[in-house]
Amino acid sequence: MPTSTARQPKMRQTMPVRLNAAEETLIAQLKAIGANAEAERITVAGLPTRRVESYHYTDLKMLLKAIPPQAAAANEASAPALRVAGAYQLMIANGVIQSASTAPAGVIVGKAEGGVLSTRDDVLVHLNGAFAKESLTLTLESSVDPVIQIDRRAEGAAAHVTDSVKVFVADNASAVIIETFSGSDAAHVGNHGTYMALGKNAVVTHITVDLSARAATHFASNEYHLADGAKLRTLVINAGAGLSRTQLFPRYEGAGAHGDITGLNLVSDGQHADITMDALHAVPGTTSQPLFKSIARGHGKAVVQGKLVVARDAQKTDAKFMHQGLMLSDEAEILSKPELEIYADDVVCGHGSTCGKLDEDSMFYLMSRGIPKEEAETMLVRGFLEELVDPIEDEALAEALHGIIDGWLLGGK
Amino acid sequence: MTTPILEIRNLHARIEDREILKGVNLTIPAGEVHAVMGRNGSGKSTLSYVLAGKEDYEITEGEVLLDGQDLLAMEPFERASAGLFLAFQYPIEIPGVATMTFLKAAMNAQRKARGEGEMTTPDFMRAVKQAGTELNIDTEMLKRPLNVGFSGGEKKRAEVLQMALLQPKMCILDETDSGLDIDALQVVSKGVNALRSAGRSMLVITHYQRLLNHIVPDVVHVFSDGKIVESGDKDLALQLEAKGYADFDGAAA
Ligand SMILES: Nc1ncnc2c1ncn2[C@@H]1O[C@H](COP(=O)(O)OP(=O)(O)OP(=O)(O)O)[C@@H](O)[C@H]1O
Ligand SMILES: [Mg+2]
Repeated sequence: MPTSTARQPKMRQTMPVRLNAAEETLIAQLKAIGANAEAERITVAGLPTRRVESYHYTDLKMLLKAIPPQAAAANEASAPALRVAGAYQLMIANGVIQSASTAPAGVIVGKAEGGVLSTRDDVLVHLNGAFAKESLTLTLESSVDPVIQIDRRAEGAAAHVTDSVKVFVADNASAVIIETFSGSDAAHVGNHGTYMALGKNAVVTHITVDLSARAATHFASNEYHLADGAKLRTLVINAGAGLSRTQLFPRYEGAGAHGDITGLNLVSDGQHADITMDALHAVPGTTSQPLFKSIARGHGKAVVQGKLVVARDAQKTDAKFMHQGLMLSDEAEILSKPELEIYADDVVCGHGSTCGKLDEDSMFYLMSRGIPKEEAETMLVRGFLEELVDPIEDEALAEALHGIIDGWLLGGK
Repeated sequence: MTTPILEIRNLHARIEDREILKGVNLTIPAGEVHAVMGRNGSGKSTLSYVLAGKEDYEITEGEVLLDGQDLLAMEPFERASAGLFLAFQYPIEIPGVATMTFLKAAMNAQRKARGEGEMTTPDFMRAVKQAGTELNIDTEMLKRPLNVGFSGGEKKRAEVLQMALLQPKMCILDETDSGLDIDALQVVSKGVNALRSAGRSMLVITHYQRLLNHIVPDVVHVFSDGKIVESGDKDLALQLEAKGYADFDGAAA
């Protein structure tokens, strides 16, 4: 069921926009399910172009060439893109929740109708809400021992896949959740939503890894709500789709809530990966440490946008957005846009951004010890990323993440 | 006549438009330790970097043979596997790369280049532990990222540890004594002396005669304005200490 309300968008132009093939298909698919308000919105405004601030570096109208037909239930499944030893596995294939094995202690698995994301002025969030038929719900009543892996797939011929997951974490509970996005080698367009609510003093690590085919497009929107004292660590890895955008919407809603929001774009020739964070520090005394890294080679393009919004009463907010880029070729592009929107007066907020190549002196030092050039590069790249993987305490999980990074490094241009 | 370990013939090198090495000639036979002393900025570190293969320099003339092989034709990592080792004047800090990981990678890379198999982890740990004990290095330190947060003296000791593990034929020590306290100087010198052997040569760059009381050189060279201007036995270092460089290179102090 579409969740949006039929609010007429403001008419900024007198002429309707010229629609491209992707927009036409989206409109038809929306009308087919009766999401007329969403269809109207696209008809009037089109997909966001670079003139829309939050899509400045990821011009969807230009980048999204086609939308494949709506996904049908998957008949076959490709091999899992990532195995985490000892993890409790759940699968959603082509938007359909698959039956799972017995849940570990503390976990209640359920289903709900429709999408999970709160309404916001964002086309990917709107589309996820309109197209999501059902959502997987996980209620974590107490601390969960095994890592929870949600394996989200797009299988078969190229398909437009929408799915959504809602996770409630009880007060004082802790959990480690990894979501992987993968599937068959086809020009899928995936639109994934995750809503996560952390109770008081809950401690959660949430990792999302895009390992879709290069032909695919990956969109994900993750919304987080943190109650008093809740601690969230995220690690987003965009490492698969030709076009990817992961949106992070953390909301610090209770005193003492803290977020280590981290992410990584790994892009090669012809890829475009975007991580966009829009964080809200809503109450006094919350902190966050958003740290993003991008590595680009060939003609790859990586984008990181980080917005910190501090509400009027949210005094003593302490938040710093950081993005570090590493260029492995002269043709690569790494773009970064920080934004601070601060309405309180007693806060410590900031942003920083660096971008460079591998340090030549470090390369020479390693090679002077007999380490060949490519191996030295790999060591330095791993070193650059260590800060992101090091805090992941589960050994099997850390090993799996190292595997993804090494796989990318070995993957060549 | 046996092949010298290192033979430098009329080596000229420049950086951008500036010539820094202006005709270096130096032969170090197997088993000998040669000291090089010279003013700040005379080109000693440049010589060591050029030998190790740093990219920034353009070699305009001359040749260098390592155990008879054309050193300048090799990549930096090939030079290392061929037996050249440079203990850096300023070791590089590399955050994110654990020292142990680095040591293992370096040892295995050199073994692989020589067609030997990888070291097992227990063998590696034993070797590191033993070399570390001799140099008074706490193995806890080696769990940290490479050189990051190491004190000046710790960095120098870590360089000698690498040298001990890699067992090079030709060791170049660029001011390994600077930054060492009196006790550390003794420990490091002992470590270096333990590596002296009939098949291994050393080039020890230093500003202080004191080091040469511990590591007694076979030959001392005075380096000035990009070349060697005087060579002699260990007493030359004493004369330098007493008189300064002016007597040897004619320039004002
Ligand atoms: N990248 C560079 N660009 C320009 N000049 C350089 C560069 N690197 C070194 N030099 C110059 O080359 C000269 C020789 O430097 P080098 O470091 O070899 O001296 P050194 O003999 O080792 O001195 P010290 O005793 O102080 O260590 C110096 O004048 C230095 O400024
Ligand atoms: Mg020097």
